[in-house]
Amino acid sequence: MKKWQLALGVIVVLIGLALGTKIYLAPKGVKINPQEARAEGNPNARVKIVEFVDFQCPACAWGLEYLKIFLARHPQDLYIQVRYFPLTSLHHHALISALYSECAARQGKFWALDNLMIPQQAQWAQLINPQPVFDAMARQVGMDMNRLSACLTSNSAHKVINDEKSMGQSLGITSTPTYFINNKMVVGTKSLQEELKKYFPGG
Amino acid sequence: MWVLRVFIGGIFIVSGLSKILGPYQNFLYVIQAYQLLPSGLEVLTAQIFPWMEFMVGSFVVLGLWTRWSLAGAGVLFGILVGVVGQALLRGLPLESCGCFGAWIHVKPQTVIVMDSFSLLLTLVLLRRLPQAEKFSADSYFDKL
Repeated sequence: MKKWQLALGVIVVLIGLALGTKIYLAPKGVKINPQEARAEGNPNARVKIVEFVDFQCPACAWGLEYLKIFLARHPQDLYIQVRYFPLTSLHHHALISALYSECAARQGKFWALDNLMIPQQAQWAQLINPQPVFDAMARQVGMDMNRLSACLTSNSAHKVINDEKSMGQSLGITSTPTYFINNKMVVGTKSLQEELKKYFPGG
Repeated sequence: MWVLRVFIGGIFIVSGLSKILGPYQNFLYVIQAYQLLPSGLEVLTAQIFPWMEFMVGSFVVLGLWTRWSLAGAGVLFGILVGVVGQALLRGLPLESCGCFGAWIHVKPQTVIVMDSFSLLLTLVLLRRLPQAEKFSADSYFDKL
């Protein structure tokens, strides 16, 4: 065997092995649940976005605000659904902010709380304990505080968050914000803007 | 020396595979954070660079065309030092270098030291090529 033949063989085998493993591990795509409380827009819209967010991630906050503006411009053409992906190793308040959001969703107040929580992210992210701030926001949006308290300590709210994070990991998500725009994976706000331009050239 | 060669190649195999096996969009996000390339080149780099790492790493480990594969490894280390260095000088807010996908998180300040040291080791290997080629495909073919 000559050296170049071995090299060619090595290249072919390596590409085959890596591609084979990649295809075997490839995620199947994200499902959209039209009954979801954490959704906004037209469920029959031509552009459906599932976003995996960490509420303490600055880029996620920017992305959520950006999509809200986009939705206001194209209410019939866009459907947005939020899923939890708290990066607890990077952000101390990732889990508690997700829990408040999930508990708000159970009272039909997800977006109302989100409208307060996201613009103030830079402030509460600095706190050692942001719960008093979240409680004040919950009162402001008219949440039932007894139900909130029970929800925060319930296993079911934790389970929803953990299940969604596991689902995200199985889809290959490693960072936030990660979006699935009509099932195409898009990571980060720069790619989000570029991908949306394809559907809405006028912005 | 040959252990060092396998170690250097191993770094690139792990680094390349960690990106190849996941969606390329994750590495694209890492590249975008360095704010260095135009959009089209960012996508191309996200798709090609991990394969370059994987191939160069595999050739270094196998000791196939060792001089050239080590030179390739040196160039890759040089690129990484340059890219991370400019990000640090510009004060870009990077939480992790993104070098090993989701498998290992290393801070940019740490990785620039690691990459510079690895570049130095690669240069040493190139200077002592006969020892580095021990247990390599090259040495097997040389004996034929």
